[in-house]
Amino acid sequence: MSTTTPRRERPRPAAGQAVPAQHQPTAKSRQSQRWLAWIFLAPTILGMGLFTLIPIVASVVLAFFRWDIISAPTFVGFDNFSEVVQDPTVRVSFLNTIGFVVVAVALQLGLALALAIMVQEKMPAWLRVFFRSAFFFPLILSAASVSIFMRYLFNEQFGVVNWFLSLVGIPAVPWLTTPGGSAAVVILVYVWQNFGFSFLLFIGGLASIPVETYEAASIDGATGWRKHLHVTLPLLSPTTLVASVMAIISALQVFDQPYVLTRGGPGDSTRTAVMVIFESAFQRLEFGQASAIGVLLTLIIMAITAAQFRLSKRFVFYQ
Amino acid sequence: MTGATNGHLREITRRTALGALGAGIIGATVASWPRLSGTDIPGRGDNSLSIAIMGTAADAAARQRAIDAFTRLHPEIKVKVQAIQAVDWKDFFTKILTMVAAGTPPDVVYVATEGAQLFAEKLAHPLDEYVRRDAADMREFFDDVHPSLVEAFMYKGSLYQLPMDWNAANMYYNTTAFAQAGLDRPADDWTHMDFRNSLAAMRKARTSDFTPYYWTNRLFGGVVPWLYANDTSFLKETRSGGGEWLWDGFYANDPSRGLRSGGYQWLEPNANDDRVFESFDYLRGLVKDGLGVRPEEGGGSSLVGLFASNRIGTTPAGGYWVQGLHEAGMGANDFDVQFFPRWKTQRHQFGTAGYAIMKTAKDKDAAWEWIKFSSSREAMELIFPNPITTPARRSMVNEQLYAGKGPAHWKVFYDTLDRFPTTGPIPAPPQQAAVETALMKNVSLAVSGDERQLKQALASMQRDLELALRRQS
Repeated sequence: MSTTTPRRERPRPAAGQAVPAQHQPTAKSRQSQRWLAWIFLAPTILGMGLFTLIPIVASVVLAFFRWDIISAPTFVGFDNFSEVVQDPTVRVSFLNTIGFVVVAVALQLGLALALAIMVQEKMPAWLRVFFRSAFFFPLILSAASVSIFMRYLFNEQFGVVNWFLSLVGIPAVPWLTTPGGSAAVVILVYVWQNFGFSFLLFIGGLASIPVETYEAASIDGATGWRKHLHVTLPLLSPTTLVASVMAIISALQVFDQPYVLTRGGPGDSTRTAVMVIFESAFQRLEFGQASAIGVLLTLIIMAITAAQFRLSKRFVFYQ
Repeated sequence: MTGATNGHLREITRRTALGALGAGIIGATVASWPRLSGTDIPGRGDNSLSIAIMGTAADAAARQRAIDAFTRLHPEIKVKVQAIQAVDWKDFFTKILTMVAAGTPPDVVYVATEGAQLFAEKLAHPLDEYVRRDAADMREFFDDVHPSLVEAFMYKGSLYQLPMDWNAANMYYNTTAFAQAGLDRPADDWTHMDFRNSLAAMRKARTSDFTPYYWTNRLFGGVVPWLYANDTSFLKETRSGGGEWLWDGFYANDPSRGLRSGGYQWLEPNANDDRVFESFDYLRGLVKDGLGVRPEEGGGSSLVGLFASNRIGTTPAGGYWVQGLHEAGMGANDFDVQFFPRWKTQRHQFGTAGYAIMKTAKDKDAAWEWIKFSSSREAMELIFPNPITTPARRSMVNEQLYAGKGPAHWKVFYDTLDRFPTTGPIPAPPQQAAVETALMKNVSLAVSGDERQLKQALASMQRDLELALRRQS
């Protein structure tokens, strides 16, 4: 006995029979549909306009003014840009940011991919769910809170990390008070907190690779890592592109971790571009210069993203 | 035919429903519009006096008692106090500036030394006319408050705030650690070398899970007290003229009257001074010999816990620490306080705080009434029931405030001003944020490496300070 319920379908017109009038949109109904579409789009357009578009335009305009919130803005042409370019702190912060992006994104994607492959291997379903949740969990925590407790963990005198190292005879490491140590901690904390997103993207990408492809590779004699090298990586390249674009854009805007962990120090060793924007605007009241730095950062992000998409034509393989 | 009709009806019904939903959203937005733009924003939409302070919900009870007392005195003035949570004063000022940028500045702001000149230069209204007008009422306040604290709020001859509380960078020490190292209480005039010897004795007596000298990298209690003790600073300190109206009016007979001015000025960097190098080199020696820590930027939040758990021998701090140590379980005799060690001088560093009236305040007279009330003994006793800070009024720094909590030598707190009248405020010009960044970012490097690295760090500090002071000047 069939348990399915027959679906009620609209009567189809017989061959040669005229299509009922209600299926041909009239001018009036097209207009009302257009209105309806605008009604639904209006909140989004309004929100985007108010909170994204207008601030972007205002920020670009502000880059040509000197403004300290209190006095009236003064038009200064390209002065803000020339001052920013000559400022050694700004230059160092941009170099730091680029260095951070290279190392952090490489680690983030590498770790996420390795763990995604590991989790997709044969294992009990509950364990897979556990790992997926555990790896994603840091992402939902507040970056400031994470950084505060990491600051305690990496304290040179009283931190847990150095205590564990002391158990194996390693002397206390000045994690947060030397340029190398502080950069390492900032990268470590950032990667730990953010790799979960790339991990989920890779999990999705791996699930979409047909099993038959692996079977075919096995028949051809591919085993272990060679299968991943010649099957997984090429077929995962569209996901890798998306993951890398998102990771790079996010890393270029890093702020919370270095600000809370090291305040950009020692020296300028962990000062990033967004930190300089924050300091210029809200601590030094140089909103024009802050906007100029923001415009430069945006241009860099756009250039890198464009370069990634251009390169993707050569390296990304679509099935 | 029926089916087609039903379909048509369903389509119309869905559209109608969705259209109605859209109209409903717009209607609800329009209906709620007055509430969204009006009284929800504190201080806007009514005539309340909006007061911003750095604080948390934990202080709410004491705050409310003060507000109630003020309302009884001035029922015509409605008061709204916004307690703004912040990591430090720089963070707090950032939030105030954000409120200014958003077009919702408070009328009155509690400002510490770190931001006093920034506010005086750009945001605050001078109190001169009010102090002159109510001179008879204010005399009792000035009689009870040391002139050094008042001078910290003078700027170009005008007074911008009345000091409510303050703290000098004295030296706290763990009495158990001192006893274990065979050390007695240090003398009042102990020197920087006596201090170093004490640290070395504690290092010898205690395990590695102990730091003889813990300090943080910030404007208050970091490197600056050592610079002051060595009769120098990282900025050249000068004084502006003016202010005679205040000093002659209220402090004419004070023994330190001759020292007073129209306010401090920090116009030039001084990181390349030989004594600055000497002071940093001394700290570098402490770090190198394992007597002091390499200071982290900011910091301070974990300090009370570490000190209370007997893992720190000494650290610079003020009277604000007492309540924290008490709550962390330290007994009244578990710790004590002494003056900061002497070097070329024994000049101390202090920070103070008080209310400033914003230029944009709707009702400046009402704002002054709040300030005047807050400076009264009655209000200050309500606001500072515990030793969470050192009250600016000398008469309130008494046995009763520290009873059962310690330290045994609590008199050190106010005696600092009397014994060392040249004791000065945190160097904080209007460009304080940039200046603080320029200092802090170079301190760790200066004290962490060899002599060459120290020289490089100070040269870098000098350049950064030049740039910071040039900004907005």
